[in-house]
Amino acid sequence: MKKAALRQSFNTGIIFGIAHIFCVLIAFNAMLGSLLVKIVGIKSSATTPLASALIAYAVLLGLWAGITAARRKREASGKERLQASLITGFSVGLMAALLVAVFQVLLSDKINPRDYLTNLSFPFMRACLFQLGAFLGIAANFLIFFLSSFLGGLFVFIWNLPAVTSAWHKAFSAPKVWIAKLRGETGKQRRITNIIFYALLFAVIAILPIEWGSYWNYVMGTVGLYVILGLGLNIIVGLSGQLVLGYIAFFAIGAYTMALLNAPEPHNWMWGFWPALILAVILAALSGLIIGLPLMRLRGDYLAIVTLGFGEIIRILLKSDVLTSFTGGPRGIQDIHGPTLFGKPFNDIDYMYLIILAVILAIYIYNRLQHSRTGRAWLAVREDETVARATGVDTQRYKLLALMIGAAFAGLAGAIYASRNAFTGPDEHSLMASINVLCLIIVGGMGNIPGTLLGAFALKGLPEILREVENYRMLVFGALLVAMMIIRPEGLIPSQRPTLELPEDSPNPNPPDLAVRSEAKPTGEDPHDR
Amino acid sequence: MTADTSSDLRRKSRQLIKLIRPLLGGIVGLFLVYRLYIVLIVEHPYGPDTWTRLLIAGLILGGVYSLVAIGYTLVYGILFMINFAHGEVMMIGAFSGYFVFEALNAIKIQDSNFLNTYAYFSVLIAFIVGMTVSALTGYFLEKIAYRPLRKAPRLVPLISAIGASIFLQNAVELLFSPQLRNYTNPTFLTRGAGWTININHSNVIIPYTGVFSFVLSAVLLIILYTIVRKTRLGRAMRAVALDKKTAALMGVDVDSTISKTFILSGALAGAAGVMWGIHNGLVYYYTGFIPGIKAFTAAVLGGIGNLPGAMLGGMFLGIVESMGPAALGIDFQLKDVLAFVILIVVLIFKPSGLLGESLAEEKV
Repeated sequence: MKKAALRQSFNTGIIFGIAHIFCVLIAFNAMLGSLLVKIVGIKSSATTPLASALIAYAVLLGLWAGITAARRKREASGKERLQASLITGFSVGLMAALLVAVFQVLLSDKINPRDYLTNLSFPFMRACLFQLGAFLGIAANFLIFFLSSFLGGLFVFIWNLPAVTSAWHKAFSAPKVWIAKLRGETGKQRRITNIIFYALLFAVIAILPIEWGSYWNYVMGTVGLYVILGLGLNIIVGLSGQLVLGYIAFFAIGAYTMALLNAPEPHNWMWGFWPALILAVILAALSGLIIGLPLMRLRGDYLAIVTLGFGEIIRILLKSDVLTSFTGGPRGIQDIHGPTLFGKPFNDIDYMYLIILAVILAIYIYNRLQHSRTGRAWLAVREDETVARATGVDTQRYKLLALMIGAAFAGLAGAIYASRNAFTGPDEHSLMASINVLCLIIVGGMGNIPGTLLGAFALKGLPEILREVENYRMLVFGALLVAMMIIRPEGLIPSQRPTLELPEDSPNPNPPDLAVRSEAKPTGEDPHDR
Repeated sequence: MTADTSSDLRRKSRQLIKLIRPLLGGIVGLFLVYRLYIVLIVEHPYGPDTWTRLLIAGLILGGVYSLVAIGYTLVYGILFMINFAHGEVMMIGAFSGYFVFEALNAIKIQDSNFLNTYAYFSVLIAFIVGMTVSALTGYFLEKIAYRPLRKAPRLVPLISAIGASIFLQNAVELLFSPQLRNYTNPTFLTRGAGWTININHSNVIIPYTGVFSFVLSAVLLIILYTIVRKTRLGRAMRAVALDKKTAALMGVDVDSTISKTFILSGALAGAAGVMWGIHNGLVYYYTGFIPGIKAFTAAVLGGIGNLPGAMLGGMFLGIVESMGPAALGIDFQLKDVLAFVILIVVLIFKPSGLLGESLAEEKV
């Protein structure tokens, strides 16, 4: 084996080792492991649950390290792959063993590092040694990483055997053909399957809120509101290409409009739900216009910072004593009265339907806008503002329009949110909330609806389902943002851009025959790259 | 006919929009003058002693802001990206200093401990460790989160930077718990102690920690300025800021220059973090965020990419933040609002900042 390849494998191991040490220090391993144990459904009796969780985590990390090391080079022979995984496993195992050796020293000297490293309690450290005592625990740590890394290498080795690869390709192509058959060849067939699909979807959506309990209605309602927020921000960031970091300020304006007009506490105005909802949307859109007007000339990153500042200003003002008499101050506004339906107040199921309606409305508006003249103008502005202006697009007007419509979406979501929770306060509208919304559209895929839905489910729904993840949510978000930008900047579901295509088989193409097809967006060079 | 009137209307509305900026500017300016007049001349609420106290606090704050702002400016000047995670680099420096002080405090020497027996040496160690850790953080930050995105559209590295910022914050929170941590200073830097001067029959304390951090930030700024102006590395940095491709053709190693820029800015942020800890006493995972944003404001204020601009902007922002609420007669809770308003106003009316942009020009 060559020396360079050897060193590379060793370094891969070191990187994984550092990641492992970090995971242990923040007790990420315990969370991941217990999640794994839960998913797999192992009931272990020999060791305590925590230790078995840690073993599950270690095996997973080891496998990952081994697979990464083995896949490092494309044209490597099977033997080289196995060697690479072995060496990586060795270095990861070494670092893991070193870590637990340190733990052993701390344990035997009864030094408690908890004051500084908050997760390292004695039971946790003992669990990291798999409850096995000094020598055996360290050896077990080393061996688990070493062996599972080798297993990963073996996996890649088998995977790359020609027979396995070809069999896999055959198996993989079968469902594709199936789906294509199901969707139908001709336009008519396709339309029918589409109708059936949408009818089914509609039925499911109509039934689900009644079937769900109030907890699930709450979670999915939040997801729905974040879908609206995501769509609104998508208009601003995804379509017209302006990075706005204080987006939650518009949400706050909507929420506070609803709260002030329907709560007894600061003013007792009691306008009722629907006028307040409409006013919330209008006020949010207006504030978008007012903020946007002086900012339209700013460069992208300056706009980001200014809107961030604007969001913080709104939050600090809401929190400060200056406006306490008007907006309720840091305690927020409680007891917001909701709408009534035939004389009885809305319950959670009614709110769920309201949110579903709002989401459908938002999707409809978004979809119509995206494919309209306005939507094309936004795309032009996003791709290159100078060129867009040269081709006759009134860039400032379209950018303002995007900001206003996006803000209106946020106002709608905010008003429903405040009304449903019967509470709103300044801390709900922190910068992190803005960044959450940004995360969900980036993770899902900028500028498209399925991506926004997926992002909202992944970022708002999943953490509710997986309660263990709660503490690590923001950490994973941060890492995910960086990773997404590097690996897949277009998001999980890349945006499809309509392109005009002449049908090949028609000899005399006339306008109605022009088929609008979709094509994955190419990652273009940045015009501002200096 | 109708087309004519509509285009006419549009032209008029555009003229109106063009008027908005000066109009807004006039309103803001008039309001400022009016408030200053009311507070300083009509109401006259504070004596010179209070103003001196506020000025001292402002200068100390300004020193820290300047150091962090330099980091933003250096990176922006070279990469044209806002290093959003720079505040977190500062926070990590502050934490490193905290751990050094804790460790040295735990070492017993006869009836005292290392921290107080070798006080100056301990402070030196804390700064060296803090600066090193922060520099390393900056280096790896660039290597992991920014370098792969060198050629991507501008928003991509910004989002990556936001992600890195969130990651670092939460990593520190999960590692060291979200509790506030109290800096143990050596006795010669006891917080609250200082020289007392008498102004207007009232004692004004000039805190030792404040003088220390102000002097140190001034020294570091001078060192950095010399590095950028006089050394080979500084010339390489300016060349890269001016034009990466040409600089590479002239034999400048662009990647390593950018790495070194991040190391420099990280080291300064680390020093600022330790100073922040020594002077303010409390650090936690969110420590870096608000000063980071403020420092960015300062960098923009002075003209981003401009070193003297960042120093000036930092000082200006520190003083405004400390004296502004008093001078305008508004609540001290709103000092952050004031900083952000300044940012917005500067960006709207003079986006190139007070001293103009660009690291590469002659004046740097």
